[in-house]
Amino acid sequence: MNGPLFRHSVRMQRVKLIVVSTALAIWGFLLPVIYAKFGSQVRAVFDTGLFPAEFAEFGGGDLFSLAGSVAFGLIHPIAIILTSVFSVGYAASAVAGERQRGTLEVALSRPVSRRVFYLTLLVANFCFVAINVGSLLAGSVAGSAFAGVIDQLQLRNVPLLWLNAILLFGSFAAVGLAASVSFDRLPPALGVTLGYVVLMYFLDVLGSLWPDARFLQPYSLFHYLQAKSVLTGTFAAFDAAILTGVIAAAMGWALYVFPRRDLGAPG
Amino acid sequence: MHAITTTGLTKHYGPIRALDALDITVREGEIFGFLGPNGAGKSTTIRLLLGFLRPTSGEGRVLGLDSVRDSVAIRARIGYLPGGVALYDSLTGEEILDYLGELSGRPPVRRKELCDRLELLPQTLRRLVRDYSRGMRQKIGIVQALQHEPELAILDEPSEGLDPLMQRAFYDILDVLKNEGRTIFFSSHVLSEVERVCDRVAIVRRGRLVAVEEIAALLARRMRKVDMRLAGTPPRLEDVPGVLNIMIADGRLTCQVEGDIRPFLAAIVDAPIVDLTIEPAHLEDAFLELYKEAGR
Repeated sequence: MNGPLFRHSVRMQRVKLIVVSTALAIWGFLLPVIYAKFGSQVRAVFDTGLFPAEFAEFGGGDLFSLAGSVAFGLIHPIAIILTSVFSVGYAASAVAGERQRGTLEVALSRPVSRRVFYLTLLVANFCFVAINVGSLLAGSVAGSAFAGVIDQLQLRNVPLLWLNAILLFGSFAAVGLAASVSFDRLPPALGVTLGYVVLMYFLDVLGSLWPDARFLQPYSLFHYLQAKSVLTGTFAAFDAAILTGVIAAAMGWALYVFPRRDLGAPG
Repeated sequence: MHAITTTGLTKHYGPIRALDALDITVREGEIFGFLGPNGAGKSTTIRLLLGFLRPTSGEGRVLGLDSVRDSVAIRARIGYLPGGVALYDSLTGEEILDYLGELSGRPPVRRKELCDRLELLPQTLRRLVRDYSRGMRQKIGIVQALQHEPELAILDEPSEGLDPLMQRAFYDILDVLKNEGRTIFFSSHVLSEVERVCDRVAIVRRGRLVAVEEIAALLARRMRKVDMRLAGTPPRLEDVPGVLNIMIADGRLTCQVEGDIRPFLAAIVDAPIVDLTIEPAHLEDAFLELYKEAGR
């Protein structure tokens, strides 16, 4: 871990971090309010049988329970896109982007090993992801209080959900950073990371909406964030272990590849 | 101890030989020029020495340390200016110097002096780098490479983008560093600049070393062009050592003089000379001749 590099990373991302975290907090705030206002109507619509039952539990979330609405907020495309600013965008550009711009070689001409360089960026990325997810959940708690339904939320489970969500989005960040140290230019690193996250999301959503495709869900990392279950008191250690394993594999790849690869002159 | 030693240093990218068995030695306290056109292997050599690239074979040692195994320890003792330096556009010049100084782990004891010499005013340093001209970026690049008083400075095309006044200021900085006994490894394709600042020069072509010479020795071996107008009988120069290609026509004598010029001067001392021009030897001629020889 390198202090100056960490501080530099935070300084370069601080405005983006504030904007994205604020947007996530607002989004997190809205879901409990929507649940409190319209939860019973949404339930009534689904009870009519107008929509398939699977649609009522999109990605493991719903809008007719508080835990379900918080879970819905976490896996909704809006939240995915916002968290992807750091778990995909920052991760993919952290090394490949600097390499493409030519600033990497100025930094690496200092006495910083590539392993330390990578690990510092990984820690910074996890901090950004933790702040993003924390903002969303803080917004949800505030929204629950504002809507007068806070008593339905088991607050002691919120930190567990925070950790589980950090592991999920952190695993995307770890994959993104592993791609970033493997390429000399940003587009392939970004493409690989974005493609990976979109594929994961597609598998999970497809499995949740189409019973015949349910077998695909365990192949998606989103499957290992069962937010509603965690909030209601069922934290699956296996899910955390899977996500941790993906992070460890991505780290292993990056720590092996980055110190060994040639860094030619920027194109 | 030598500042830099390479032994059979080779880098291939598949079938492309970017650098082929380079053997050079840079002595401590000298300014060593590394000369060659674009694509000759200059930047590849520097990147191998800094540990950015892994050699295909051979080894490089910097300040006595292995360029692959001890890369971090090497980078703690050097200053590096990349060719066409890239900086963070969203930071000010001052923020960049602070950040890179902190990363170096050594106090930027030389920053003020360098900024003064390169006319980087405090208000300029407080502006965002995206508003800088190419020359100003290059100045920041020079300051970041030297502000922490490195034992060895590796500078890749350092005067690129500097106006003539700033080039002179930069050469003065190099003179100061040299007087303090610091070593400078200086890559360039600007011959006049290498001639002006370097003690020795290595010339590379297509990844291969063509020559390593003292600048003074290289110049001494070069041809000078002589043109004299005469008011009478031309002097006899056929047997004078170093005089070649003598041509006499219409009261005018032209020839070339190689090496020691004194025998030539002694031979013309009584000649009826009306006008005499001796073009000084330039590194450019030496360079082109060596290149021609290497290309044969």
